[in-house]
Amino acid sequence: MFMTRNEYDRGVNCFSPEGRIFQVEYAIEAIKLGTTAIGIRTSEGVVLAVEKRLTSTLLVPSSVEKIMEIDDHLGCATSGLTSDARTLVAHARVECQNHRFTYNEAFPVESCTQSICDLSLKFGEDGDEDAGGMSRPFGVALLMAGWDPVEGPGLYHTDPSGTYINCEAKAIGSAAEVAQSTLKEQYKPGMTFKEAEKLAVQTLKQVMEEKITSTNVDIASVKPNFRLYATEEVEEIIKTLDASS
Amino acid sequence: MASSGCLVSEQKPNGFDFDLCKRNAWLEKQGLQTLKPWSTGTTICGVVYKDGVVLGADTRSTAGETVADKNCEKIHYMAPNIYCCGAGTAADTENVTGMISSQLELHRFRTNRESRVVTSLTLLKSHLFRYQGYISAALVLGGVDCKGPHLFTVFPHGSTDALPFCTMGSGSLNAMAVYESGYKEDMSKAEAMELTKRAIRAGIFNDLGSGSNVDLCVITSEGAEYLRNVDMPNPRTFTAVPKPFARGTTPVLKSKELRVPSLESRVTIESQEGDVATAMDTT
Amino acid sequence: MSWSPYDLNGGTCIAIGGEGYCIVAASTRLSTGFSILTADKSMILPVNSKCLIASAGFDGDRSQLHKVLTFRSENYEHFHKKPMSCPAMAQMLGNTLYYKRFFPYYTFNLCAGLDDQGLGCVYTYDAIGSHERVGYSCQGSGKDLVQPVLDNQLKAPSILELPPKVAVTSLSKDEAIETVKIAFSAASERDIYTGDAVEIFVMTPEHGVQKEILPLRRD
Repeated sequence: MFMTRNEYDRGVNCFSPEGRIFQVEYAIEAIKLGTTAIGIRTSEGVVLAVEKRLTSTLLVPSSVEKIMEIDDHLGCATSGLTSDARTLVAHARVECQNHRFTYNEAFPVESCTQSICDLSLKFGEDGDEDAGGMSRPFGVALLMAGWDPVEGPGLYHTDPSGTYINCEAKAIGSAAEVAQSTLKEQYKPGMTFKEAEKLAVQTLKQVMEEKITSTNVDIASVKPNFRLYATEEVEEIIKTLDASS
Repeated sequence: MASSGCLVSEQKPNGFDFDLCKRNAWLEKQGLQTLKPWSTGTTICGVVYKDGVVLGADTRSTAGETVADKNCEKIHYMAPNIYCCGAGTAADTENVTGMISSQLELHRFRTNRESRVVTSLTLLKSHLFRYQGYISAALVLGGVDCKGPHLFTVFPHGSTDALPFCTMGSGSLNAMAVYESGYKEDMSKAEAMELTKRAIRAGIFNDLGSGSNVDLCVITSEGAEYLRNVDMPNPRTFTAVPKPFARGTTPVLKSKELRVPSLESRVTIESQEGDVATAMDTT
Repeated sequence: MSWSPYDLNGGTCIAIGGEGYCIVAASTRLSTGFSILTADKSMILPVNSKCLIASAGFDGDRSQLHKVLTFRSENYEHFHKKPMSCPAMAQMLGNTLYYKRFFPYYTFNLCAGLDDQGLGCVYTYDAIGSHERVGYSCQGSGKDLVQPVLDNQLKAPSILELPPKVAVTSLSKDEAIETVKIAFSAASERDIYTGDAVEIFVMTPEHGVQKEILPLRRD
């Protein structure tokens, strides 16, 4: 991707003469190695679907956590370094509880996304460890799915640069490009939740190298509460998928 | 007497009963809330003018932060030619002026002369001094006698001052400010009344212990004029009666019918018993 | 005689939440001991179009508390891109007060406004943050005089009526405003710290916050 490696690609607190911070861009590259995750927002709620790479049959599938609950009304799908994702999610969970304690209300989805991005930016060589920051950027992207008491359903994408975008449908991970173009073709603004659910899993199936089963994908919904689907429910959805593709 | 709770029946000496002082001091140390007597957190004042004396008072009586009486009388009668304004504990001012006024009345019977203001002053101050300030009465005493108009202040400990104008009570500073700025020697009656009214109003509006209306008392050699509520500067700003509750608001939980013998049937019975009526006749 | 960081500056405040309206009223006299400091001091903080806070007690702590609350509410608005709701403000006020548990803000607060359903809501507090959502409440020097009147007029009319109605009074907005005026004119007759004037804020979803001033006794 980058033609030349030079002295500017090591420091996280140093721009290159072209105005880039390479470490951040490399972190974004790390996500492209991650598993694929898809999120679609409808007026009824948000669906998240992720691929789980089970590298061994001896793995316990439920121990591979790609979708995590943040609060009753908020969850996220991750792609990239799982350990980094856990740090961000732990932070988001604390922020949600803090907000509930202070204001007796659910943390707005965008505010939660913002607070994750704030943490994502706290990297640097002089170390901001006490504040939860790291010496390098987080190598993970998140799809934040939530239900806002005012705004309704929300889907946000965050990346290691601390940028967040409000999305209607979004794919991240190794097959992001293919999946995103499928979503672009097939997503319709007035979609029902059921249709979105099917589209998410269908798209995932299409980009997965392995055959889709109820153990190698996770599905979750937020409508208005977060819920990770049980294996049987995943099974049901897979059955409805088109045999083609 | 027997039910008074005294174990030993004995003749009490005159004056206050201090029996429970030690007990109360002990109870207070245990954390008992002391009683909150009504006080006349007050504005009272008086001024000497050409022909006599004008006394003034507000009409609020307070118990702590609550108004106990919105229109009380703080100018007390001492003698036909002497009146006395009282500030402090309401019970003390009422009783001390009452007691001295009765002594003055007896003194007049015995001497057949009009009471003199210094006489009442001396009686008041010696009574207050005897109780070392425990009788919280701060007074403005005014009157006209054979020696002319007199105005005195009496402090709770028994000290006194003779002055051309004076103020007392929690609103004394407010009233004094008006007197100091407006007093002239040999004022007319109207001027003295107006100045006193303004002094009391200063207390009413600026001192929270004083309020409601203005009472005045003008004393000349001709006699005293008690002017109750000459000024009423505090009308209610909003009057409305809450909506009455609709009939049936209180639910009937249970009911029981009681037979009341009708008046009609009783009249009939009595009118039939002619013998009884005769028997009752005691003429 | 020892110096105290606290004073009591008197004043009474009332809040009533009804269906589709909320009323918050407070007297404007500021006093210390037997003296009036000013006849024209507001003790109501209009936080936003959804929430008002009335605080009786010590004026110094009130102004500091109102400053803190204004700051937090504005910060919230910037961060979350929406005005703080009345229930959210109520919780935040409770935390703010409890944070100073051992050197309290000497204030007695009412937090009132409209909730997400447009229903009047009133929260009543002690000085260290214990709070409760009620249909109406009052605080301050005239509390002992006014609260029984409100109970009689706004709660279940009979104590025999079970279960007692609590949440929201059935009174219309105009009837509730009149009740507030009656309560204040009565309180100013008997409480020496309540007087001069009363500010009445009326909040409705249609008209936002409107203010009215009723003069009271000045003695």
